[in-house]
Amino acid sequence: MSMRELVTGGAACAVSGSSSSSSNPLGALANALIGSSSKTQERLKEIPNAAAATSHTQFYDDPVAALPGSELDHPFLQSNAQGSDFIRGFRTAHDNGLADAWDEIQRQPHLDRVYNAAPAPPIQPTLDGPPQRVLSSFLHSFVDSSRSGIPLHPTPLPLLGLSQGDKQCIRDRSSIMARHFFADKSEEFINSQVNALLSSLEIDSDSHAKGPMPGRFRELEDYWNESQGILKPGAHAADGWVTEFSQHRAQHGDPDAWAHSFEQQHGAGGWASEFEQEQAQLTLVDQMRGGNIVNLAAIEQTRMLAHTLSQNDDPKFQNSKFLQFVSKMSRGELIIDDNQVKPASGSWATEYQQQFNGGASWADEFVHDEVSHGPAQWVNEFATEREQEPVDDQWVNEFSKLHVDDWAEEFGRQVGEGALGDSSSDNWATAYDEFLNEQVASKERSDASTGVYVFSDMNPYVGHPNPLKEGQELFRKGLLSEAVLALEAEVMKNPENAEGWRLLGITHAENDDDQQAIAAMMRAQEADPTNLEVLLALGVSHTNELEQAAALKYLYGWLRHHPKYGTLALPELVDSLYYADVARLFNEAAQMSPEDADVHVVLGVLYNLSREYDKAIASFKTALKLQPNDYSLWNKLGATQANSVQSADAILAYQQQALDLKPNYVRAWANMGISYANQGMYEDSIRYYVRALAMNPKADNAWQYLRISLSCASRNDMLEACDSRNLELLQKEFPL
Amino acid sequence: MANTELKSDNLFEMMKIHLATDAGKELTKKIGLVYQINIAPKKIGFDEVSYVVDLKKGEVTKGKYEGGKPDAIFTFKDDDFIKVATGKMHPQIAFMRGAMKIKGSLSAAQKFTPDIFPKPAKL
Repeated sequence: MSMRELVTGGAACAVSGSSSSSSNPLGALANALIGSSSKTQERLKEIPNAAAATSHTQFYDDPVAALPGSELDHPFLQSNAQGSDFIRGFRTAHDNGLADAWDEIQRQPHLDRVYNAAPAPPIQPTLDGPPQRVLSSFLHSFVDSSRSGIPLHPTPLPLLGLSQGDKQCIRDRSSIMARHFFADKSEEFINSQVNALLSSLEIDSDSHAKGPMPGRFRELEDYWNESQGILKPGAHAADGWVTEFSQHRAQHGDPDAWAHSFEQQHGAGGWASEFEQEQAQLTLVDQMRGGNIVNLAAIEQTRMLAHTLSQNDDPKFQNSKFLQFVSKMSRGELIIDDNQVKPASGSWATEYQQQFNGGASWADEFVHDEVSHGPAQWVNEFATEREQEPVDDQWVNEFSKLHVDDWAEEFGRQVGEGALGDSSSDNWATAYDEFLNEQVASKERSDASTGVYVFSDMNPYVGHPNPLKEGQELFRKGLLSEAVLALEAEVMKNPENAEGWRLLGITHAENDDDQQAIAAMMRAQEADPTNLEVLLALGVSHTNELEQAAALKYLYGWLRHHPKYGTLALPELVDSLYYADVARLFNEAAQMSPEDADVHVVLGVLYNLSREYDKAIASFKTALKLQPNDYSLWNKLGATQANSVQSADAILAYQQQALDLKPNYVRAWANMGISYANQGMYEDSIRYYVRALAMNPKADNAWQYLRISLSCASRNDMLEACDSRNLELLQKEFPL
Repeated sequence: MANTELKSDNLFEMMKIHLATDAGKELTKKIGLVYQINIAPKKIGFDEVSYVVDLKKGEVTKGKYEGGKPDAIFTFKDDDFIKVATGKMHPQIAFMRGAMKIKGSLSAAQKFTPDIFPKPAKL
């Protein structure tokens, strides 16, 4: 009964009806879990066809809106301008019937008893009523089970009519939250909890598992085909060559027969494109010879080719020469200078890359290039040669005997193997994929790296009456990813709230996202330039990003604004900070008051900057004696040990201390992974990275490190799961 | 000099210590090549600082390689080197974008992967 009141928010909430229940943490949690579903509905409404369906839902949901504890529906009710008049009418009418509704709720327990013949456990959720209500109370029971540690059993629920988006949302957020709830529990327990929740809600826990990313490969292929297609215009140039060539032949009194027969045999276009690819190879070669004598080199190369072609009538010999050339390039035996020459694979990549960057322009350039000093040059050269030494029909004959088909096949094979074989197309696909990811990420992150905070989209805490309090509460409970959302809602509401920004920054740091941590802390500093915690946090974050100058600036700022040590600071230092001066000042401060843990913390950070790890370790140990329960200090000590490459045991002992104090400290999990990886224990590092990522899938660093560890541990089979960020698969494969 | 300090300096210092460990020795066994890495603070070609990562002897030294020719020479901007060494940027992509210049043997260059560098743990 008391549970019900918690869920429904009690009578007080029922009267006001429209304000969401801040006094109701459970309701808010449920809101957090399914909050975005209303947004999904909003989106649906934008689609004309969906209008009929949603208006129906509205009818259905409206009575719920008037019921206590049903804050879920408000965003969508308010947002729908179209129907709002009607709703208002409906509402006022319904307000009179509020008492009825309330009575109905009061009656529900009886219904419960009727439905649940078996003795119901105290936290048995209400399993009837409108879908939203069922869902919210069921989620409450999930959250509740975490407190008591009672395993959640799958429960049959009535049809809820959840959309695909709702399901996705519930699945993602419940699994992240579960990792935080049960940070100290085993992986199996967490999985069974989540699976119980999901199966009750009829959400397929595996539907998230993306296959082998067919989309990407298809895209890759498209690009490749496209690039091949664009090559075609170039063929005209070579077509022209054929014509020109035959004209030359005509001038010299030779019959056109050769050209015709050649065309008949191999098709002009086909040969032309072969020739063109050959040209591309040769262009590479002439780049190797030095950019300034491009034309000369091209002539040289083509002459060599022509020479070979005319001199040797043994096609096998030709092939072997060509083979040697191509394979030398693909084996990387050719010494390259200043990026000018790549092996066949590199050239493919470069072409491809350019293609991707500026499709048409590259094609133009290529065609232009070909026309200006490719075939034309060759033709001229060929023509002059022709003029110099009169034609011998023999050459023509030999040339046509060369089994160009074989040659073309061989070439095709070479390109196939040489260009793609060496580093297997898989690798390229991955590299390409990563490149795409990187581009997307850099678009998103370009703001972050310049110190601008990037807000999450779809934040269910927007509109929450007191997101700061909610955020503090969530942070205290260790639900870091949720706390980020709540705190973001706070600073959107009050951009000048230094405390909101500060806690947001701390949360990001603990969640192992230094870019966002720095961005948030900078805003906190703007709002409150002398906040010591903010200055210290900024110093630490910049130290982590290896930005020494910035770190020094903030750590010195800490000293300058400190009520006690401020007098030590020398104003003239601000513009030209030297590490030695700052370190000296802090040592003085430490002598002034050896009982102040903060000074030792700053000293420890400073010694990390100067890589005097032994001193840093000593400082952190001193600080820990004064503040043994500061989990972030344990992590700092562990991280310093890791950076100074101490034995694994020492590092892990300290990190474990941090995790004992704060089980969902994502940074500490990630650091455990790093220390294992640095000691070459890649399999172990993978487990810790995966654990960290399960709690914060947005920790980009950990994803990158995970990838490195996977390839070092020869687990290339899981790279795909890493690239598609398939946490379910990774957790199954690497349980901790 | 606080203001001319490169981010990469930190990483090379860590590398120094790292090579003395078992994992580091494993690395010299596996790769056995000498790399010279030039780091430019802002723009390639200007104020470059050179480090030699000798994975034959297991040493990191500041300055150009003296003892012949390194197997491969890389040139990066400070930021880009950090990105490659910490796995933020794939070496192949860095090369394609011109963020990484290579001189020397390509097969040697291909063994230059992010996993040879230790990762900084975070405070």
